[in-house]
Amino acid sequence: MELTITTYGSYLHVKDGCFEVKVDETKAQFSVKKISSIHIATKASLSTDAIKLALDNNIDIVFLDDYKGAYARVWFPKIGSTVKIRRRQLEISDKKEGFDLSKEWMLIKIDNQVSFLRELGYKRPAKELYFKDSIAYILELRKSIDLLIFDENIIPSIMGYEGNISKKYFEVLSMIMPKGFEFNGRSRQPALDKFNCMLNYSYSVIYSMVEKACIIAGLDPYIGFVHADNYNKKSLVFDIIELFRVYADIPVTHLCTCKRMNVDCFEQLDGGGVILNKQGKKELLVQFYNHLDEKIRHRNRQVSRKTAIQLECHHVAQTILNG
Amino acid sequence: MLTWFIYDVTSNKVRNKIIKDAKGYGFYRVQKSVFLGEADKSDVDALKEYCSEIIDHSTDSVYVFPVCEECFSKARFVGQAFNKELVCDELKSFII
Repeated sequence: MELTITTYGSYLHVKDGCFEVKVDETKAQFSVKKISSIHIATKASLSTDAIKLALDNNIDIVFLDDYKGAYARVWFPKIGSTVKIRRRQLEISDKKEGFDLSKEWMLIKIDNQVSFLRELGYKRPAKELYFKDSIAYILELRKSIDLLIFDENIIPSIMGYEGNISKKYFEVLSMIMPKGFEFNGRSRQPALDKFNCMLNYSYSVIYSMVEKACIIAGLDPYIGFVHADNYNKKSLVFDIIELFRVYADIPVTHLCTCKRMNVDCFEQLDGGGVILNKQGKKELLVQFYNHLDEKIRHRNRQVSRKTAIQLECHHVAQTILNG
Repeated sequence: MLTWFIYDVTSNKVRNKIIKDAKGYGFYRVQKSVFLGEADKSDVDALKEYCSEIIDHSTDSVYVFPVCEECFSKARFVGQAFNKELVCDELKSFII
């Protein structure tokens, strides 16, 4: 179970070997056996005992804010596995093996997007032609990525194709949005519309999950293959999250199209932009976590989407290690 | 395995120890002396052994009832019911 604290002034501490969250006079206790991670999405306080108990039980504490998503996390001051994986990661980052991995990830991402669009199109027979055309356009670009052959300056072309595909993908999603949820392209920090605001929030949760999975698998989050290096940029997390973005796209799109989110869930910012308020976060996260917990088929195994993220990171680490 | 854990213990000190242990294993307190929770068989056994060591066998009693999902779905509750989803581990996110 994911514990998310969204009430202002909550206090997380340890009582009788369990986590206890105190909000004014009400208290709720949780056994360490039941919690997989703690997300703190408001101004709250916590005791060092709680941090120790969390880390002793492999529970990560993530701090989220309204704009940027996860801004800090409490995790072990050590790496999750052998440093050999990191060494190999550096070795292959600008070689063909690295390119092959990044190409594979991009193709999987596009396949995920296409199958989601197909599913949406299936339910909307009136717009069949539009969906068909968009999917054909995306598949055409996918073919171009598939045909790319490794050379040293190839990465920008992958990114270029990927950018065009994403643009088309979000164009289609925008078209099916009901009134009040339309959007024009992606926007971040702050999101300019409700859809982007929900998407950014869910991406930031997946982002922190992928980062945790990378560290556990022994991968260095900073050494990526597709995304460029930058100061303190966790390029590998950005690379791997591409595989799982669709896990956020699906519940967010459904919440919007089913009109489950109402005006009370959002707050308009003075300088333009939208953020989720407490109720909005609750609506979104409940749906989102339920979606993450659904069982899917992943590399011939029946696992929840959340477990799939961890398994995929282990798989990447193994691939890198064995060459 | 969903398990009922029920006790009748005279000594306050022993009772508090048992309560603390049961909570730690992931049981939820559904009544004053009744716990219910989804727990591993090994955890249930460990709890039972611990109780067996510390309770006064001449006055106290501890019952552990595992219950299958089908049987639990037939159970009926009246009055102040507990959060069934939370206790059965069906709740994937708890938002405070």
